[in-house]
Amino acid sequence: MILTSEQKLFRDSLESFLSSKLPIAALRSLRDASLSTAYDRGVWQQLAALGVSSITVPTTLGGAEFGWLAMGAVAQEMGRRLSPTPLLSSVVLAQGALINCANLDQINHYLPALLNGDEVWAVAFEERAHFSPDSVSTAMTPRGLSGGKCMVLDGASADRVLVSALNADGQSRLCLVKTDALGVKQSPSRLMDGRQYVAYEFSDVPESECDWLAGGASGAGWIQVLNQGMVVLAAEMLGGARELCERTFEYLKEREQFDVKIGSFQALQHRAAHMYSELELSQAAVDAALVGFDSGQGDQCAMASAAKALANECFQLISDEAVQMHGGMGVTDELDIGLFLKRSRVCNQLLGNTHWHRLRYADRAGF
Amino acid sequence: MKNADTAVSFRTEIKSWLQKNCPISQRQPIIQKEQIWGGRNKHFYNDDARHWFEAARDRGFTAPEWPARYGGGGLSADQAAVLREEMQDLGCRPPLYDQGLWMLGPALLVFGTEAQKQRHLPAICRGEIRWAQGYSEPFAGSDLANLQTKAEDDGDFFKVTGSKIWTTRADAADWIFCLVRTDDSGPKQQGISFLLIDLASAGVSIAPIPLLSGDSDFCQTFFDDVRVPKDNLVGELHGGWAVAKEVLRHERQLMASFESMAEKPKLNIIDLFNEHMGNENAYGISSTDIRSRLASHLIRDSAVKQLGNRIAQQHEVQSVDSRLPLLMKYLSTREVQHKNEIILDILGTRGLSLASPDNPELYDSMVKQWAFDKALTIAGGTSEIQLNIIAKRALELPSASTPE
Repeated sequence: MILTSEQKLFRDSLESFLSSKLPIAALRSLRDASLSTAYDRGVWQQLAALGVSSITVPTTLGGAEFGWLAMGAVAQEMGRRLSPTPLLSSVVLAQGALINCANLDQINHYLPALLNGDEVWAVAFEERAHFSPDSVSTAMTPRGLSGGKCMVLDGASADRVLVSALNADGQSRLCLVKTDALGVKQSPSRLMDGRQYVAYEFSDVPESECDWLAGGASGAGWIQVLNQGMVVLAAEMLGGARELCERTFEYLKEREQFDVKIGSFQALQHRAAHMYSELELSQAAVDAALVGFDSGQGDQCAMASAAKALANECFQLISDEAVQMHGGMGVTDELDIGLFLKRSRVCNQLLGNTHWHRLRYADRAGF
Repeated sequence: MKNADTAVSFRTEIKSWLQKNCPISQRQPIIQKEQIWGGRNKHFYNDDARHWFEAARDRGFTAPEWPARYGGGGLSADQAAVLREEMQDLGCRPPLYDQGLWMLGPALLVFGTEAQKQRHLPAICRGEIRWAQGYSEPFAGSDLANLQTKAEDDGDFFKVTGSKIWTTRADAADWIFCLVRTDDSGPKQQGISFLLIDLASAGVSIAPIPLLSGDSDFCQTFFDDVRVPKDNLVGELHGGWAVAKEVLRHERQLMASFESMAEKPKLNIIDLFNEHMGNENAYGISSTDIRSRLASHLIRDSAVKQLGNRIAQQHEVQSVDSRLPLLMKYLSTREVQHKNEIILDILGTRGLSLASPDNPELYDSMVKQWAFDKALTIAGGTSEIQLNIIAKRALELPSASTPE
């Protein structure tokens, strides 16, 4: 990742903040917290004050316009520490959808509270066990908004949720609902990555509680938001993969068996070299997609799918190998390695598994 | 501002020079038999090829970055990058193919004496002498330093005896650059010297080796008491390993960029898929499976290119992560082989014959490429050697008895 000196400064200040406020221990204590907690909102407000919620927001809307490469760098640092924050759910997806799919009145009305961290939002777009953003059966009926959504990231800590739903005219749009509105029921759960995911049930939520995002480009805008979510998640995943590589290669240099460092065994050296090759290959694809968001050049869907497909495979390979190379310690809860392994499998299913992305890439490439 | 103006006018000048001097036929996708190889016996496929070669030669563009006094173009790295971009943009074929140009020359510029540079570099740039590489031996492949071909002191000469294997197209070459053993008393890497040998010398014989592709691109070259003047020693006596590593560095870069200089299939793999996978979807072949594998290949292939671009950009801002270039040969050669296997699966029983080079059928040439490309993960340091190097230099894992 080639950053400007400003972007580097920003990343470095974020890095020291995350190291002190959101180390992996923060995820461990979140695992034991009540189901209604998705992340520490106080820490999030401090992150917002540091500018994390404004990175890609245009200066005309009060943002920092720092670019997607900077966003990727922040996600990568969070991935290294498995930091539980609403960066993906509230900033990239929800706030991104607001900016891309709402009209200017709506943006001016809602954006300031998101930027300063007073409000956090979630996005509800999954209705099935596999990523399929086009399958929308939640709909506005004469009695109100009805339907069910699953896998809503950080959903129980959100103040509002954007719901993909069919409007009264049968068009698929995004509808903003307060999470404590009449007819909204939440069932939070904590998945194996320690993060909070919520199933929502909407039963005749009154029209008056629903604010439909009414920008011109709501369809294409939403697709681009999903692309951005995929790539930021991929950057986070590669942060985790990079951390695992470093920890594992250090372990290979320390651990002795048969009176030698196990890292001197060629069988392990070749696997380690392969892990590293895959990491840098995937990083190149993620960086290219981030650069693509900044420049607007290239097929954004194809680049996002390439990045997420490679990140899925890379994080899975590296987390598997990290567990195996740490031996018995690799399967304990004491070591952090297993936390990354479980995160990798959850991330695989979030925003499209490898197969989904390969087939979308094929569609884009014309075969 | 002034620099920017100069750069723009240089680009404009290069573009118009290429448009004027590179005939349209030399801007078509490369066909193997039309490649321009140098040497005493060079021949041109047609007059356009001759014209393009001579124009590039006279301008120094066969070796753009070499100093003009040795026949090169004398371009800076930035200017050479502009030339490459403009050639790529117009689709210009390489004006000269030669291992001397790609591998020996860069090493001579570092290690050669002034006399050696003046004698050999212009002959390379001008396509007058074609070079072969004499590294591997029957008992020294990946363990290259184990080589046994001997060069004994014989007054003003060395007397060379032994044989070299996988000497690419030695049967068409004029000279060979060789690693020979000049001392076997110490560690094996320390008794090696780098020697230039005229293949017309008495005692040299060359036998092509038939390959699984049906071609014989590789030879075994035998030396039987061949007298080689001592002036032909490059670098220090017993100090050839340093020269060899410089050559290998260029060879691995070359292999990583091999595809850009090779013949392209007439049908690209996406067209091939669309043509053949539409209506065959029985148990024998699942188009979804191949579609997914092809997408995976294309994703990885473009990531390899993006990684290459990233390295180039790091060069520009002079903050190179020196670990990254070590990955390129391993990743890129693997991907070429993945593609070839997918092509065979798409072709099914249509893709099982190897054509003669004179009559390449559309599919047969793809199969031939599959067979030929099996060498990519072996030549220039096997993939296993590449992984050793990555483990040692990039990851700094503890050393074992893992050679490089």
